[in-house]
Amino acid sequence: MAQQANLGELLSMLDSPVLSVRDDVTAIFKENLNADRGPMLVNTLVDYYLETSSQQVLHILTTLQEPHDKHLLDKMNEYVGKATSRLSTLSLLGHAIRLQPPWKHKLSQAPLLPSLLKCLKVDTDVIVLTTGVLVLITMLPMIPQAGKQHLHDFFDIFGRLSSWCLKKPGHVAEIYLVHLHASVYALFHRLYGMYPCNFVSFLRSHYSMKENLETFEEVVKPMMEHVRIHPELVTGSKDHELDPRRWKKLETHDVVIECAKISLDPTEASYEDGYSVSHQNSARLPPRSADVTASPYVDTQNSFGSVTSTPHSVSRPMSSTPGQLPPPLSSPAPRLSAEAPQATLWSPSLMCGMATPPTSPGNVPPDCPQPCSKAFGALAGGKGTPSGTPATSPPPAPLCHSDDCVHVPLPPPTAAPPRKEERTDPARPCLHRQHHLPNDRGLEELPGGKGAVTLSDLPGFLGGLASEEDSIEKDNEEAAIYKELSEITTADTEPLVPRGGFDSPFYQDSLLGCPRKTPSATTSAQGASVHPEPLNASLDKLGPDTPKQAFTPIELPGGGRDQSPAGSGEHQTPLETRILTPSPFRVPSQRGAGFGSGQPPPYDHLFEVALPKTAHHFISKKTKELVKKMPGNAEEACAPSASPLEVLDRLIQQGADAHGKELSRLSLPSKSVDWTHFGGSPPSDEIRTLRNQLLLLHNQLLYERFKRQQHAVRNRRLLRRVIRAAALEEHNAAMKDQLKLQEKDIQIWKVSLQKEQARYSQLQEQRDTVVAQLHSQIRQLQHDREEFYNQSQELQTKLEDCRNMVAELRLELKKANSKVCHTELLLSQVSQKLSNSESVQQQMEFLNRQLLVLGEVNELYLEQLQNKHSDTTKEVEVMKAAYRKELEKHRSHALQQSQRLDTSQRRVLELEAQLAKKDHLLVEQKKYLEDVKLQARGQLQAAESRYEAQKRITQVFELEVLDLYGRLGKDGLLKKLEVEKTEAAEAAEERLDCCNDSCSDPVRGHSDTVSGHNGETRPPRPGSTRGSGGRGGGGSSSSSSSSQLSTPEKPPTQRAGPFSSRWETATGEPSTSIPTTVGSLPSSKSFLGMKARELFRNKSESQCDEDGVTISSLSETLKTGVDMGMEAKTPLSPDGPRPAPPSPDSVGQLRIMDYNEAHQEHS
Amino acid sequence: MTEDSQRNFRSVYYEKVGFRGVEEKKSLEILLKDDRLDIEKLCTFSQRFPLPSMYRALVWKVLLGILPPHHESHTQVMMYRKGQYSDVLHALKVIRFVSDATPQVEVYLRMYQLESGKLPRSPSFPLKPEDEVFLAIAKAMEEMVEDSVDCYWITRCFVNQLNNKYRDSLPQLPKAFEQYLNLEDSRLLSHLKMCSAVSRLPYDLWFKRCFAGCLPESSLQRVWDKVVSGSCKILVFVAVEILLTFKLKVMALNNSEKITKFLENIPQDSSDAIVSKAIDLWHKHCGTPVHSA
Repeated sequence: MAQQANLGELLSMLDSPVLSVRDDVTAIFKENLNADRGPMLVNTLVDYYLETSSQQVLHILTTLQEPHDKHLLDKMNEYVGKATSRLSTLSLLGHAIRLQPPWKHKLSQAPLLPSLLKCLKVDTDVIVLTTGVLVLITMLPMIPQAGKQHLHDFFDIFGRLSSWCLKKPGHVAEIYLVHLHASVYALFHRLYGMYPCNFVSFLRSHYSMKENLETFEEVVKPMMEHVRIHPELVTGSKDHELDPRRWKKLETHDVVIECAKISLDPTEASYEDGYSVSHQNSARLPPRSADVTASPYVDTQNSFGSVTSTPHSVSRPMSSTPGQLPPPLSSPAPRLSAEAPQATLWSPSLMCGMATPPTSPGNVPPDCPQPCSKAFGALAGGKGTPSGTPATSPPPAPLCHSDDCVHVPLPPPTAAPPRKEERTDPARPCLHRQHHLPNDRGLEELPGGKGAVTLSDLPGFLGGLASEEDSIEKDNEEAAIYKELSEITTADTEPLVPRGGFDSPFYQDSLLGCPRKTPSATTSAQGASVHPEPLNASLDKLGPDTPKQAFTPIELPGGGRDQSPAGSGEHQTPLETRILTPSPFRVPSQRGAGFGSGQPPPYDHLFEVALPKTAHHFISKKTKELVKKMPGNAEEACAPSASPLEVLDRLIQQGADAHGKELSRLSLPSKSVDWTHFGGSPPSDEIRTLRNQLLLLHNQLLYERFKRQQHAVRNRRLLRRVIRAAALEEHNAAMKDQLKLQEKDIQIWKVSLQKEQARYSQLQEQRDTVVAQLHSQIRQLQHDREEFYNQSQELQTKLEDCRNMVAELRLELKKANSKVCHTELLLSQVSQKLSNSESVQQQMEFLNRQLLVLGEVNELYLEQLQNKHSDTTKEVEVMKAAYRKELEKHRSHALQQSQRLDTSQRRVLELEAQLAKKDHLLVEQKKYLEDVKLQARGQLQAAESRYEAQKRITQVFELEVLDLYGRLGKDGLLKKLEVEKTEAAEAAEERLDCCNDSCSDPVRGHSDTVSGHNGETRPPRPGSTRGSGGRGGGGSSSSSSSSQLSTPEKPPTQRAGPFSSRWETATGEPSTSIPTTVGSLPSSKSFLGMKARELFRNKSESQCDEDGVTISSLSETLKTGVDMGMEAKTPLSPDGPRPAPPSPDSVGQLRIMDYNEAHQEHS
Repeated sequence: MTEDSQRNFRSVYYEKVGFRGVEEKKSLEILLKDDRLDIEKLCTFSQRFPLPSMYRALVWKVLLGILPPHHESHTQVMMYRKGQYSDVLHALKVIRFVSDATPQVEVYLRMYQLESGKLPRSPSFPLKPEDEVFLAIAKAMEEMVEDSVDCYWITRCFVNQLNNKYRDSLPQLPKAFEQYLNLEDSRLLSHLKMCSAVSRLPYDLWFKRCFAGCLPESSLQRVWDKVVSGSCKILVFVAVEILLTFKLKVMALNNSEKITKFLENIPQDSSDAIVSKAIDLWHKHCGTPVHSA
């Protein structure tokens, strides 16, 4: 309790007027908080704050450290639930989170958030709602990913509050609604900026319902007109924008800036230079940007930009004097170029967050709003910045100024053309090849673009362009434009002194850092005095054109400045308005001018202008919606379309003006009259209303301050980047210096090299001359040597000649010697010959003498010989003649002989030929003979074979006959033969008797021929004639037959009697055949016959005669046998008894004997 | 040259491309035109080529000595032959050995017996094996030759040739057969030996009867061309070829009796091919006889 009491004391001491005590107590609290981890102290503090709303407690609470945040949040959650403490709790929460405590990320998990949302959903107090919404809006960027769960809560709140704006439930004052509307507008921006896809889908679903349609038309649609199409709508998706990864990269201020980028509302968006201003740029420079975007070069430029942007951006700050460019153009350039590398090289949030030393945000804003604003005012007034245009941010101010100074000498009327030319000209020397492409293109198309778009046409033209432009395209355009600008500036500033250019903006920036922030943060406050002009402008052209109109003032100052360089703000504004605004708006322009001079116009005028009826006529032509709204409530209709913030601003301003007026007049009734004008609320409520209003304003102010802080953070980061870039640039410059030094060195080296080369060439020449001299000497010496050589050769030849001569002489000497010798020899020979010839002469003489002697002897002999010759000549002659004759004779004889020889020889030849012929003939004959012989032999063989066959036939026949015969004998013919035998014997006897006389001779004769052969057979015959009757009979029969053959007689027929007759009858027939058969016998005389006989003889070994006999007998017996066989019975009857009975036996015996004999003979 | 001009100039190419027998008739006619027939050339020709059927009887008669080589004496000799034939026939008729009803073949046999002096005492005497051979040959010949005289004479001389000229070489043929069969197909021979059928093959039918009754006459006469012209070895090759042709069937049979039985009654349809192949085989092993013409 002591502690409790102590606490109470301490708390009361906190608000003591003594500063030191206050500080001490604060320190004590902080120590306590550090020491104690319990919730009690925090709770107490909260309670105390809610009671007293002490600033010191608030300070302590907002700077609570980690472990106490939970208690704080719990406590606040507790109080939010209570309606009475809700507002103060919310304001406390707002204070706490605005300072961005380190535990801000816990907010999402804390139960406070749902309760806050719930409160926003159900609460009906506008003040609470407005405060809550602002807190929520502040909180959202801090917990972006946590908002996912509550997304629909956010949307629901938005839907509820937006409908509130329209429906005005119950007693809610219009004033509050303006505030609420402004906060809803901010919520809209936040939600749209953070969750575009989800939000748009929510809008689509929520406002597709009929009951909400009006709200949409009245409230939401105008809001939509103040934002551009979010890039995420194109590239992202619902899930993607809720992805924690997306948010991880972004810090709170990044999120805020992101949301601001989306906005087209100058009051919202103009704070973010990087995005919206660039958009203004692109919008403001339609021809160029259009060209760039249209050309494919943009892509290459972009891709290339990542590589080339760094050096350019680094060098760019040097270009403090891109004189040709108008200030509004150059002013974005530095910032953009600072951003370009940021995007490409390093992640901005991290680097900047680390680099920038956070200037304790808690201290600065509350401490020095006033001096800052003053400083800004001084700046704005003194330097003549385009303060009238909130679109242009303060930073360009110093730059613009410096630019202006440089820019002054330029010819004003042709601002655009020179800009174009100078843009292209310096671009050419650029190292990058690609630049020619865009430049040429720019050259081609710029004139057209320029010519077509005059300043007066500009708004319309811009409108068309803006509507066309896509967010992505814009990015590209921006990048391209930054590139170009940076290039141009570098190219221009290259020859200029770099350091000065670099230093001046840098130091100015650093110096102005504080003041610059403050104006931006306090725009809302300043805006009251600054805004009217753009407000008018935006009012002038309502509807879709508003954003462009909001931007146009940025361009106008350029144009205005061209005409009036270094002109003050007072001079500028009239010019602008004169150029831009149509005639009906002169009044506001005058008012603007008046405002610029610091003289506020009368309230009525302002009010009229704020809710202009004339404007409706103008607008109604363009937009039907506005026409629709017009009869409803002019104020309400105008407010959303004119951006709620502006409306709010205006309201505050009006309030301020009224307040000022009333204060000057000091008349309360008039004040009350005026108040009725605001909502008609009774004066008793006015105090409360005013207080609430004040509270709301404070909230709004705090919110704006928060935003300003975020921007400050961002600016610090950007500044850090700029510093970095500057450092790099410096480094680059240093490198360049080094490079130059090295180049110088190289130059020196080159010079020395040249010198050395010259010296070397000189030496070379010297050497050459020496060499040439030596060469000539050598040549001379050689010549001399050759001469000497020739001389020596001549001498040598002479020597040679001499030697030859000596040799010749020697030879001659030798010859002469030999000649002498020869002659000596000859002499001796001659002398010898002489002696010889003498002896020969002597011999000759002797011989001559002999010859003479012999001649005489010869003569003698000749005489003797002649004497002897006379006798022999005759004989000789005769003999000669004889011989001659004889010779002739012999010759003729020889001739004859030779002739004869010839003839004989011829004859011999002839004969020989004949002989040969004959021989040939003979051979032929022989051959022929042979042939014939062969032929004959062939025939003979055939014949022989035939004969052979015949023989075989005969043999066969014989065999057959014998066979038959044998069969005959067998067949008992013997009996019959007995009878006949006697007859046959008788007949044989008779026959023998008669035949012995007549036929013995021929038989004998015949037998003689063959007796030689059968001599032995004969002797037995006579003996057997008697002895063997059968045989005799046989012989007789044969003889008879032979006789019959030879001499045909009748006796047998005569004698035969019955027998003979019978014989004849028997033989009558065969008689013809028998001769034929026997007739063949005579043919036996022929060759065949003889052969046959021989054959027979050989075979049977019987006599030829007997053969014939036997044959005949055989035939006879055959026939007789036959006959007997035939006529065996006929003779038997008459003569049967006559033949003797023994006779057949004898005959048989005979036959047998005969056979036997033959056998015996044979053997 | 004259011969060549008479012959077709394409004859050289016929043999090259495998046509045979185109020019043979012509060359044979040329041979037969000689007044004194060259028997040796005729022999070579008939060994080398098949004889045209229109000249076969003439050539055979000449080769067998029935006709002399001289054309002049042909008629006369033929007259003699006819006379002899009629004489013998008459004699046989006289001794009642034959009658009109007696089959011609038997008549030939009796005539042959008569001429060779071997006529039995009675026609009813049983026939000797050589008579059976004669009968078979005569029967085959009867188909080949139309004229009965010619037929008788050719048969007679053919048998005589077998009995005289080939008396020594015929018993050698079985051995030669084995040898050539071994060369051509040793497996077949071993199979036959395994079945012990080698010694029981129908050698009588093949070599004594010269395949008479075994092959159809149309193909048989081509074999006999060779036999008549003096080569009995062709019989061996015909036998070998028969075995080769029916190898599969013979291999399938493993009984010597069955083999013999089969070989005695071989199918007639492929006989022409057998003979052609046999002649080729013969030429292959014994060489083509030199044709001097």
